[in-house]
Amino acid sequence: MAAEEKLVVMVTHGPEDPEIATIPFAMAGAAVASDVEVVMGFQGDGCLLVKNGVAETVAAPEFAPLAQLLPTIQELGGKVLVCSPCAKKRGLTQDDLIDGAEIVAAARFVAEVTSATNALVY
Amino acid sequence: MTQLEIHEAQVLDARRLSCPMPVVETAKAIKALEPGEVLKIMATDRGSIADVPAWANSTGNTLLNWHEEGDTLVFYVRKKEA
Repeated sequence: MAAEEKLVVMVTHGPEDPEIATIPFAMAGAAVASDVEVVMGFQGDGCLLVKNGVAETVAAPEFAPLAQLLPTIQELGGKVLVCSPCAKKRGLTQDDLIDGAEIVAAARFVAEVTSATNALVY
Repeated sequence: MTQLEIHEAQVLDARRLSCPMPVVETAKAIKALEPGEVLKIMATDRGSIADVPAWANSTGNTLLNWHEEGDTLVFYVRKKEA
């Protein structure tokens, strides 16, 4: 089953809180492994997690490290969307973000959430 | 422990991987198998006891059996028919 299921995972915490920053990646990883379409949305300090080089610095005890989770999620089809004003406030441009990250605005997030079967916000 | 009459087509060593990587690697490994073939998974993350059955149930694959060998959890999953 699950090919038509879609999960949106919103991430609002940054690297200063490794556990709450990692849990959404663990959920997204389990979802893509379960053939669920996954869209990860990064807002607020969550944007910092998809800045080049940052995932390699974030790991929480008992969870796989972000350096392992993030590329795996993308490899299995998970999308990475980044809040445009949040990125701008933090001085982040497209060049600062990991490959595959897409800078979007609110209406795109709304479209992703309303077309999903479920959404999680961290 | 009862000797199982299960013949795996492939073995996945997911020992020392943390949540959720055992099921992620299981999902990747089973894609390479033919329908009906069996994947043997070795894991040490205790969360796998709940995760592997939940993953099998949600993806339509069949958990044939699981047991513990010392600190290692051993699962046998049969790939679903196409």
